[in-house]
Amino acid sequence: MEALSLREDNGDRSAVVGHNTLQLIAFSIGEQTYGVEITTVREIRAWNGATPLPNTREFVRGVINLRGTIVPIFDLRARFGDGQTSPTKNHVVVVMSVGDKWVGILVDAVSDILTVNREEIHNVPEGNAIDTELLNGIVTHESRMVGLIDLHAVVTGAKLDG
Amino acid sequence: MSDLDDFKATYFDECSELMNELEEQFAAIENGERDADRLNAVFRAIHSIKGGAGAFGFSGLVGFAHAYETLLDYVRDGRVEMTDDVVTLCIRANDIVADHINAAQTGEELAADYGAEEKQRFDAIARGQRGDEDEWSGEIIEEFDIEFTPVRVELAVEEEPEAVVEAVAEAEADTFEAPPMPAVPGHWEVRFTPFRQLYSRANDPLLLFRELGALGEINVKAILTDVPALSDFEPFGVYCSWEISLFAPDLTEAAIREVFEFVDGDCRIEVVPLGSGVAPAAKSVAAPAPVAAAPVVAPKPADLLALTEDEVAAAPAASIAAPARAAEEGAGLSFADLASEIVAAAPPKVVAAPVPKPAAPKPPAAEAGEEGGNRSVGVQSIRVDLDKVDRVVNMVSELVITQSMLTQQMDENLRARYTELVRGLEVLAQTTRGLQDSVMAIRAQPVKSVFSRMPRLVRELATKTNKKIKLETIGENTEIDKTVIEQLSDPLTHMIRNSADHGIEDPEKRKARGKSEIGTIRLSAEQAGGNILIIVEDDGNGINRERVLQLARDKGLVAPDITPTDEQIDQLIFAPGFSTAEAVSDISGRGVGMDVVLSNIKKIGGSVHVRSWTGKGSRVTLRLPLTLAVLDVMLVKVGESPYVVPLSSIVETMQCSGATFERVPSGGQVLQVRGEYVQVIDVAQRFAMHSTKAADERFVVLCESEGSQKVALVVDDIIGQQQVVIKSLEENFEQVEGIAGGTILGDGNVALIVDVQGLRTTHIHQNAA
Repeated sequence: MEALSLREDNGDRSAVVGHNTLQLIAFSIGEQTYGVEITTVREIRAWNGATPLPNTREFVRGVINLRGTIVPIFDLRARFGDGQTSPTKNHVVVVMSVGDKWVGILVDAVSDILTVNREEIHNVPEGNAIDTELLNGIVTHESRMVGLIDLHAVVTGAKLDG
Repeated sequence: MSDLDDFKATYFDECSELMNELEEQFAAIENGERDADRLNAVFRAIHSIKGGAGAFGFSGLVGFAHAYETLLDYVRDGRVEMTDDVVTLCIRANDIVADHINAAQTGEELAADYGAEEKQRFDAIARGQRGDEDEWSGEIIEEFDIEFTPVRVELAVEEEPEAVVEAVAEAEADTFEAPPMPAVPGHWEVRFTPFRQLYSRANDPLLLFRELGALGEINVKAILTDVPALSDFEPFGVYCSWEISLFAPDLTEAAIREVFEFVDGDCRIEVVPLGSGVAPAAKSVAAPAPVAAAPVVAPKPADLLALTEDEVAAAPAASIAAPARAAEEGAGLSFADLASEIVAAAPPKVVAAPVPKPAAPKPPAAEAGEEGGNRSVGVQSIRVDLDKVDRVVNMVSELVITQSMLTQQMDENLRARYTELVRGLEVLAQTTRGLQDSVMAIRAQPVKSVFSRMPRLVRELATKTNKKIKLETIGENTEIDKTVIEQLSDPLTHMIRNSADHGIEDPEKRKARGKSEIGTIRLSAEQAGGNILIIVEDDGNGINRERVLQLARDKGLVAPDITPTDEQIDQLIFAPGFSTAEAVSDISGRGVGMDVVLSNIKKIGGSVHVRSWTGKGSRVTLRLPLTLAVLDVMLVKVGESPYVVPLSSIVETMQCSGATFERVPSGGQVLQVRGEYVQVIDVAQRFAMHSTKAADERFVVLCESEGSQKVALVVDDIIGQQQVVIKSLEENFEQVEGIAGGTILGDGNVALIVDVQGLRTTHIHQNAA
């Protein structure tokens, strides 16, 4: 379980990065690339199973033990409505803080750390409801489209209704 | 400034503890336990509150507490009898003290005459017993804890006036002019003129004066004649000198000079014994002749006694032996004489020790002694930030998990090979268990600390509503985690208000209904499995269901075409904005009460349940988790996932093959256990998991939930018993139906804790729907 803590790095990096730029951790689900602001990421760890939570929606993969606290794991693929991921040891859990809570997001792989200009962030085109619900914006990086994940939206609505 | 704020915060913490103690003591005193210990405890509490208040300048509080304390003092030594009237007055006084503390804390101003009436009654009661021997008032008296016991040495002189040498008589006459001190010697004047370097070396005259103050009674006068006009004022100039007059019965010049030892050379010190007659004698042991001639009438035995070694050595050897002996005799005599008069026993040290150190002569006064004793008891507890304790709790939890993981790694092979290691692991297991218990005990607190605030609330409510209400508390020693206790205060207040305002009827109405005029609110706490139940019951009117339903319909909380059951109507009182009170009183009725209860309790992972009996009363039950407490559980498997069931709720387990299931018309299953039919819940089915086993190979875990309702859980496998630490799911997620929380197993995986009660009730709802 090679947990890579990024917390120490934050300070230095944000020091070099100007006001107008944003650093992202980019990760992939299939062919798609998504990103979250680097300051929200607490830890990246390999998938090592999770205890399933009953009475929750399918994108809640369960809970894991993160040094003594219980952290829920959200399957981002399932959250986008693409069916559950079949995770292997090569899949990655990105642990992030949302408000005062810590959550883990199950993704296929972490690809890069990107620096983007805030001006380059575009609105999500209307059309697909799930995209507009879960993304804050879209940014192009080296001709790749990166969707900026709205973490608050991802973690809401986890409970099964009724 | 922040330091002072810190001290203040500590003081208010202490106050609230002391107020709780007062409530507790008076609860017992009201019940007739009026022994000295309780009265002393009450006195100490008030005294401590007053002391701190004095230090922070809360004069209103000091004034009132002082008057109260005076009364208590008289009660304590039996001059005032502790009648029921006095008890009632004292209880009222506690409330006033609490109000004062509260006002001081929030910075509010109380009316200037707040509590004046009670104060006068204290006065009246106290004066009734004491005549007019001394005045008392609410002035701030925050005295040093140092008091000197005068040693009257001239008694011997009076006995044999003929033998008195003239000089000695003079000396005496001199000292008699100093009225507060009957002792002959020990009146000194110190002139202290600091030089500039004294300040540049960071000395502070105030500290010196305090040290002098520790030697005896001091009177400091600043000499400001040298202070120049402002135009000539040099910022670092030294213009002020002081004259200190110092009273202490057995003080030597050396002792005084010792105070200034560290500023030696940085200031000018003149130490002059007051009174010309005394001066030479004190300086030089210069009256060996009269002393030798009449050893019994040694003019200043105490002084001689107090001579430091150098001075003694400096004096002629021959003359010392006699007066020293005389001094001992004289002092001893007078001490014996005085013993009956002086309440505080002067320590024999003063008499016997040939070289008293400056700090030594501090005979504790009666009160100081008592306080001191208590303080040393108080030191046995310390204040620790809850965060720090939490950190320890978390780390110990980790340790427990690691330890059980290690134990699990030991298979039979290893056990046989490494016996020493096995023994070590066993010791580790024991120690860890002990450590865990101790850490949990730190955070666990009796609910008493919340319950004890309630009697006052009930008294106030009774007065405001003109009802007669009695509060009974049961199980106040039940311990819950401190974090839970802190969340309890508001809900309990709301619930009791509700009971008093809406539940309990007017005395007339109660009489008409054939009930006792005095309404009863019962507050109880008990442990039930992994939960604490806090129950507020009253024998009042119960919930007016028609009215509740009507209001709920008016507010659109219940659709017109739905007819809820009685139980459902009862639960409506928890809806936000709901109030049945016809008029909004200042006690309750704004409709913010019960939904606050619900949200507060839910926030800490608890649940609220209300039951009502029309005309007979109502009962609100709070189920609270013992957060972070160790839980004995049974580890079971449902599908591939581990679940734990609190052992405390398990009645028995059995194999499905040996159990008798029956079908009921609703389609559900029941289990027949010794003639009793028990509702069956297939956990795999409820949690939408795939059972991995054939029906016959599965197990039944028979549980008992709240109110002795049994429920049979069907699980796939039973793994064993274990101790676990409860972890919150809500910390990073949200509450999940049917799950009470999570825990971390020895292998580091998470197991979920089955919420037996929750499963049962949601099951009923689902079946009903």
